Amino acid sequence: MNETFDSDTTETDKDERGLDPRDAARLLVQTQRRAQRELDFRSPWLSLLAAAAALVAFGAVWLSVRAQHPYKGPTVVGLLGLYAVVAIRIATVVYAHRRATAGVSGRSVSQRRAEGATLGVALVAVYVLMGALANNGASDAVVYGVYVGTATLIVLGTFWAARSALREDSMGLGLSIAIMLIAAGSAFAGPRGVWLSDGVGLCVVLLGYSAAQTWLLRASRTDA
Amino acid sequence: MTVDALDPLIHVPARLQIVATLAALPDGDALSFTRLQDMIGLTPGNLITHLRKLEDADYLTSEKTGNGPASRTSVALTNHGRAALDTYTETLRSLLNGL
Repeated sequence: MNETFDSDTTETDKDERGLDPRDAARLLVQTQRRAQRELDFRSPWLSLLAAAAALVAFGAVWLSVRAQHPYKGPTVVGLLGLYAVVAIRIATVVYAHRRATAGVSGRSVSQRRAEGATLGVALVAVYVLMGALANNGASDAVVYGVYVGTATLIVLGTFWAARSALREDSMGLGLSIAIMLIAAGSAFAGPRGVWLSDGVGLCVVLLGYSAAQTWLLRASRTDA
Repeated sequence: MTVDALDPLIHVPARLQIVATLAALPDGDALSFTRLQDMIGLTPGNLITHLRKLEDADYLTSEKTGNGPASRTSVALTNHGRAALDTYTETLRSLLNGL
């Protein structure tokens, strides 16, 4: 070690006393759970915020298209509402993530960068395909309604499912599968209904996810 | 089986906390000295003494990057350290089942 701190040997000698096995087991479990909690950016309140964000973002778009006959797509005001909520959501996740992973370095940092780049490319591909559909004469109802609302969520769900499977995170995997099913099912609601169905569906699933996180957190604290 | 069967290097509150905290990181990751100190709540001097003992036993590795005030030391559990914690946990479980 190259740190230049003064060693407090008196305090260290005092700490050298052994532990009762029961106390050791309790300390081990408490430390492991606290470390896992502090190093993980996900939390019930973050999921709760995501539920509210989904409802407000998709709700804003739905309000802007619900009276359109024929369907033209989200208005500028509706899109501004959507992007504002998405920007706030990204900012809260980045803040929580940076806080949780402060001081962590190594392999997982480069893995996260590769995952982020992959997701970015996949989302760009969704919008390139949207441009191609519009260019090939697909209707506004398909391009700016059913397709974009569904494809974006399916890409996000697939990405999170793969990430969760690699980390053996069964709750995250369940959430991702639910998001993909909501996206696919919402496509049947048509160009206007897809936004409302996505918003309400995501909100319900994320509320359930937040409740499950809270329950697990309380259970682990009680066990410890 | 008695308490003596437990690895004496780990069977100390501070070092048990250090090893358990570092084991929560994914394999191949390291934690900065200051973050580890924040998470465990030991004084810098106390922490560094325990880290040295664990490093001497090849339970963890440390790496210093940068110079002067901007320097940063990171610590990571080695495979040997992870195996030692697994063995410690198993021994502890056997001991508690026998009590």
